[in-house]
Amino acid sequence: MNALLKIAGALAVATALTAPALAQTTVIAPSGSTAGTYMDYMKTVYDRGTGSELLQIPIATFDKEFELTPMAAESWSQSEDGLTWTFKLRAGLVWSDGEPLTAEDYVFALQRAATSGYDFAWYWDFAGGIKGWKEVTEGTANVATLGLKAVDDLTIEVTTVAPKPYLPSVTSLWYPVPKHKVDELGDDWAVNVESIVSSGPFEIESWEKSNNSVVFTKSDTYTGPWSPVIDRLELDPTLNAPEVGLPAFLAGDSDYSFLNTGQVPVATQRFPDGIRKNAVFATSYISYDLDAAPFNDVNVRRAFYYAVDRAELTSTVLKDIAIPAGSILPPGYPGYSESVVAQATFDPEKAKQFLADAGFPNGEGFPDVEIWYRDEGGYNGAIVPAMAQYLQAEFKEVLGINLNVRPLPGPEWMDGLRGKKNNIFIAPYEYDYLDPSNFYGIFYNGGRHGYFIPEYDELVAKADSEPVWEERVKLYAQAEQVMIDQGLIVPLVHPITIAVISDQLGGDAAAPNKLGFTSLDRLAHYFFTHLTKQ
Amino acid sequence: MLTYILRRLVSVAVTFIVVSLIIFLMMHAIPGGPFDANDMPVSEAVRAKLMAQLGLDQPLHIQYLRYMWGVLHFDFGVPYQSPGETVTELLSRAWVPSLVLGGLGVVIGAPLGILLGMAAALNRNTWIDYFASTLATLGLTIPVFVTSMLLILVFAIWLNWLPANGWGKPERWILPIVAYALIPLATYARYTRSAMLDTLNKQFVTVLRAKGLSERRIIFQHVLRNSAIPLVTVFLPMFIGTATGSIFVEAMFRVPGLGAYFVSSIEVRDYPLEMALMLMITFMYCIAYLLSDIVYALINPRIRVGGAE
Repeated sequence: MNALLKIAGALAVATALTAPALAQTTVIAPSGSTAGTYMDYMKTVYDRGTGSELLQIPIATFDKEFELTPMAAESWSQSEDGLTWTFKLRAGLVWSDGEPLTAEDYVFALQRAATSGYDFAWYWDFAGGIKGWKEVTEGTANVATLGLKAVDDLTIEVTTVAPKPYLPSVTSLWYPVPKHKVDELGDDWAVNVESIVSSGPFEIESWEKSNNSVVFTKSDTYTGPWSPVIDRLELDPTLNAPEVGLPAFLAGDSDYSFLNTGQVPVATQRFPDGIRKNAVFATSYISYDLDAAPFNDVNVRRAFYYAVDRAELTSTVLKDIAIPAGSILPPGYPGYSESVVAQATFDPEKAKQFLADAGFPNGEGFPDVEIWYRDEGGYNGAIVPAMAQYLQAEFKEVLGINLNVRPLPGPEWMDGLRGKKNNIFIAPYEYDYLDPSNFYGIFYNGGRHGYFIPEYDELVAKADSEPVWEERVKLYAQAEQVMIDQGLIVPLVHPITIAVISDQLGGDAAAPNKLGFTSLDRLAHYFFTHLTKQ
Repeated sequence: MLTYILRRLVSVAVTFIVVSLIIFLMMHAIPGGPFDANDMPVSEAVRAKLMAQLGLDQPLHIQYLRYMWGVLHFDFGVPYQSPGETVTELLSRAWVPSLVLGGLGVVIGAPLGILLGMAAALNRNTWIDYFASTLATLGLTIPVFVTSMLLILVFAIWLNWLPANGWGKPERWILPIVAYALIPLATYARYTRSAMLDTLNKQFVTVLRAKGLSERRIIFQHVLRNSAIPLVTVFLPMFIGTATGSIFVEAMFRVPGLGAYFVSSIEVRDYPLEMALMLMITFMYCIAYLLSDIVYALINPRIRVGGAE
């Protein structure tokens, strides 16, 4: 009898111990893009395996209030001349195969990006400003000359060409690459689940390459900040399109779904507590070829600046999915300036006057122009085509000019922009790191649009290096004033994404931030490690 | 017949080369390259370095000859979108779901369509005929993404009988197969109906009836056989079209198939994959038409090659 009781007791204890293990929580979420090549963010950003950033630990990252939080780094400091940054890594970080994670893995990641990468070459040039970057990417200098050094296993030293007070926020996109794996397998370490190792809060269980969907599990070896609460995470890019995502959500196949405009009223009615909004920190704007007629005339560009009724645009055709943009910086973004935004008014009279001053009274004699936009999916796909048609009608009505609209595939649009094959574009841009230098860098010294405006470049360069934040903000506002005065762009709208989330999701990640926004997978490290599921 | 087949095979080879040239030239004539899809332009020096790495700095005719030389050895290169594998590996992986779902769609849809078409032809101007015609018209006119959405709405969300989408477990295959099957069903229903009505009105049917043959023998042995030519004509091309995946069906049902690659390879300028897909389709259509011609001859002995015999 006694023995029986013991067995029963042991069984009861064993059941109690295994019960939590059996009740695994799995979150299924839309994320990523359906094409991905390497599960290695530092190899390719645009064609990366879904969630590859979640597998690795960045130097630092942002929390839901967009506060920069140290991750792999424990601390950092700037030298007195402002040119050298020293990052101290946490002790005890390891790769999932047990190898120690060292400063060398971070340095190697950028050295490789500079020599055999392409989609990060521009980023570390314009954002990081690392010494020797340009020369190394262009092949005229040896990689050893880069301003990057692993001083010891836990210390990284970065030297920049000019003081970069915002460099720590740039490191939110600086992930390590397992040098020991690359030495063994080359870049192919990141193409098979068997050889992929991770240093972040999750490790990989499977990867369906046909649609780039992945299954991650909570890492057993991760000792850094923000350990996940959930056990498993399925990220599926095929759920990204609201037309596919919402039916899957309704059928219980997904824990949240993005919504298109048609779905918003239905979802709001059915799940009033499940609606989440996010300002994407992105801007759609009009840009020009400043050297080609008719946009080589500042008055023409100023006319366009005043001819857009952003309030009407966002309250009618773009209802719920965009808000007016009066600046290149979105609301809530560091450096956002009300005085800049206040100038972007809809003023038909002023617009007409500027056009008349340019020699085209009531649009007479103005050549027909064609505005080119990038044909794409996601939130831009929902906004830009409708906006282009609105602008066409608006410019006809206000300025009396004929604007034709032409959608182009990504590569052709970029080729047109780069080669100045057209004179007017709608361009969308989403932030890469949280600092005004990100958006102002787009137009700096050629940048994305081939703009070379000495006054602007001088102000931006000065602002980029200015150590006092208030002074920096003033300088950026002055730089944007140059953009306004010279009509370099027409800020149009900032996109808003809307999603519906399941009532089973909880935790800090599922609740909106102080601005009322929930970033979901846009802040992947924060979101998926602070998410709970019932 | 053998000479005929050989002659046709030579014409397949010629078609193949002509199509490959046209595709290759068109592919490179479109502005933009594989490094232009991004948010910021890469510098000219970096671009030149990358183009050289992929061999895209060579003159076009060298690039073409190199690629075709590879094709002769069944080497279709490495896709830019998925450099960890060869194009052949990518195709054999991604084709499975498309082949299973699209193939089953045709294999199930076509016989059902034939039965429906027969029922309509044999019961002309009755409710069966009207029902079949309506179904066929709807099947052909409603875009497949709309029927896919309706199927999901009704069977996954309202009735909750089947999963909404996904790949893997066979119960997830049912709705995409139905979506795929509707097109061959509708097409075959229309073709069969008109071909059978045409045959039924022929004099030899009257003669057969006068001879006292049973209606079943007349229909299955004579009418159906004589109506089969158009059905054979559409079958293989339809099979190829469906079993290589539909971007809409695959997107709606989240099937990791081949369909999306037809679009993405063009969008991101994935030249090796784009060429391979086009060559594959060309080759399959050429062979399909050749096979159809051979089957014609088997069904109807009056169709003979060469004419003079």
